Amino acid sequence: MFGFRLAKRDQALPGGQVLAFGIGLIVALAFGAVLLVVAGHSPVEIYLKMADAAFGSPQAWSTTLTQAVPLGLAGLAVAVAGSMGLWNIGAEGQIIAGAIAGSWVARLGPDLPGPMLITLMLIGAAIGGGLLALGPAIARAHLGVNEIITTLMLNEIALRTVRYLVNGPWKDPTSIGFPVAPELPEQAALPTLFERADISVLIAAAVLIVFGFYAARSKWGFELRIAGSSEKAAEYVGISLKRKILTVLVLSGAIAGLVGGLRLGATDRIVEGVAEGWGFAGIIVAALALMRPSGVAAVAIAFGALRVGGVAIKGQGVPASIAEIIQALVLLGALGAAVFTTYRIVGPNSNSGGDATSRDMSEVAS
Amino acid sequence: MTSTKKALLALLTVLAMFAAACGSDAATDTSSSDESDASDEAGDDGEAMADGGDVKAAFVMVAPVGDAGWNFMHNEGRIGAEAATGVETAFVESIPEGGAEFDEAVQNFIDEGYNVIFTTSFGYMDATEKFAADNPDVIFEHISGFKMNDTNFGNTFGRMYQPRYIAGMAAGAATESNKIGYVAAFPIPEVIRGINAFALGVKAVNPDATVEVAWTSTWFGIAEEGAAAQALIDTGADVLSMHQDSTATGAAISDAGGTFIGYHSDMSAQVPAYLTAPVWNWTPRYSAVIEAAKAGTYTPEAWWGGMADGVVDIEVPASSPVADDMQAVKDSILAGEFDVFDQGTITDQEGNVIIEDGVVQAELLDPFSGDPVAGPGDELHDGVLATMSFFVDNVIGTVE
Repeated sequence: MFGFRLAKRDQALPGGQVLAFGIGLIVALAFGAVLLVVAGHSPVEIYLKMADAAFGSPQAWSTTLTQAVPLGLAGLAVAVAGSMGLWNIGAEGQIIAGAIAGSWVARLGPDLPGPMLITLMLIGAAIGGGLLALGPAIARAHLGVNEIITTLMLNEIALRTVRYLVNGPWKDPTSIGFPVAPELPEQAALPTLFERADISVLIAAAVLIVFGFYAARSKWGFELRIAGSSEKAAEYVGISLKRKILTVLVLSGAIAGLVGGLRLGATDRIVEGVAEGWGFAGIIVAALALMRPSGVAAVAIAFGALRVGGVAIKGQGVPASIAEIIQALVLLGALGAAVFTTYRIVGPNSNSGGDATSRDMSEVAS
Repeated sequence: MTSTKKALLALLTVLAMFAAACGSDAATDTSSSDESDASDEAGDDGEAMADGGDVKAAFVMVAPVGDAGWNFMHNEGRIGAEAATGVETAFVESIPEGGAEFDEAVQNFIDEGYNVIFTTSFGYMDATEKFAADNPDVIFEHISGFKMNDTNFGNTFGRMYQPRYIAGMAAGAATESNKIGYVAAFPIPEVIRGINAFALGVKAVNPDATVEVAWTSTWFGIAEEGAAAQALIDTGADVLSMHQDSTATGAAISDAGGTFIGYHSDMSAQVPAYLTAPVWNWTPRYSAVIEAAKAGTYTPEAWWGGMADGVVDIEVPASSPVADDMQAVKDSILAGEFDVFDQGTITDQEGNVIIEDGVVQAELLDPFSGDPVAGPGDELHDGVLATMSFFVDNVIGTVE
């Protein structure tokens, strides 16, 4: 159209990502400022309020990190699959499956001591999430069925299942008709780490660090990226693609399932909205981290801060819609910036760029 | 690898910018009180401790207050209570259930000196209970759930089935096809109770009419609710009512040239086919809680108010041929002389008599736990209403 197109750069712009993210953020905040002025607020005051709510005190940090936990783990789940070129759109459902499996464990052993119960719940949750991803993994590995469709549709199955459980067999008999499961045993609550943050922050940090290094440094991680960039190359060097796809998708589901287990520790019981959109937010986190597991933690903290800041300004009389638009603008700015670090705009008369036009956007992140 | 490091670096830069910004904010906070017009902090907090009479009320809403539904009416209640009690109020909207954002929002209000906090969505219940335990000086009122404590945490709901009965009378008189449709949310006792009350109202003025139920599994789903409404219209329904937050049902029946019985709020401005609606009015209840807080007499309760308490209401449309009858029923409900389920013979879809003149005639079980709720000969009590899981005989549809 009009002869303009995006061409992939031969090399990523040197130092470009820092610059691009900075510009993306500034542009987003500038657009947001216009909205705030129109709505009768001082942009400086509002932005300072957001920053203070997210980072201004230990309590603020504890809230931001609490938000970052599910964002980071869900982001990691998507990024692990994404680093091999697979799209796990089903993290939302896998979180629900993890929560279902976790609470099932808690129902089986309500009298277990806290540390053991929590450990078993989290393992159960990871298995639950992994099991939900197993179907799409087998279908993709052996039949070539597109994992985007299967993982996406399983979200709906997971949602219906939890809805059925809390409206039916798991319904709290004392809830006078409200669709919730009974509360988990008291000792299943995660111990507090500091202020409002519980030990899920440590668990998530450990998982992110291990995977960040492993994916970046190990032969396994290297093979993943090879398989992601070229199936033929992977087969040529003797990587079993089928096995890789299976393990990676199941692992991705298990990490998402872990989010469900950790959420149970925070919500006291399983409810229909247990996943609350974290799985979908994970896709944004992974995209912003350019599908690199090592980048997920920083993105998750920044994203968490943005959400906490958004809540703080909603309470200051800023309409929720504007608060949410500002958050979306920042994400959009950062995502847009990411595009221009690896792609450049080619004019109608330029011959450079080769066959790059045929490449799709998913390569931006691969 | 270098690009990974660059990505990290970029994000750290973003973080640093946030951190830098918040550093300067902390300085502003201690040196001045710029937002005093917004929150009136400093001096007032001290006084609150001194005389116990300085009450500020905050509201946490699950969706935008512009929805003309549940959240809109809670915000109307907040505005009304502010005018009635003279206390300062604040609200925050679009706060998801069961997440850190709720904790953040409530803690912000507590930090700013708000000492009466209304949490207006079912899913806030457990988190509200925790906040109540941790903040004994703050009063928490939850709408609506089933938890409370002995000191500072109560719950509130309304007997919406009372105005729904009167709405049913309007529907029964308005239908020409004798087919009335009801677009329903989830098959939980609250919704089933509302459908039954509506159908009993229909029956009171038009024994030949039926109420057909279409479930949508949504509280706010424009597509699902519109489709369910259209399906009911296609089977011949010329009057529709509903139990959700969107106006999709109203739009569909307006296009079909029928009559719309709304819910939540007066939708006459948005929906051409609007006749009347059972509505929420939270102002009296919110004002009462705030006044009790001011006087230091707040006692938590599981408050389930009706039309006489002002929390639910319906306007009698003068154009209805049964307007006088509706007004008469409204007056007797207000006078405490009429109860929707405590009168006449109530029969289920299979023809079994369930309640006769306020006396239970059948073995009633909690639909979920299977525990008995009431048996033949028992007086009707709120437990029967709270677990209602059968449809009355002029309803078409299933309770699942």
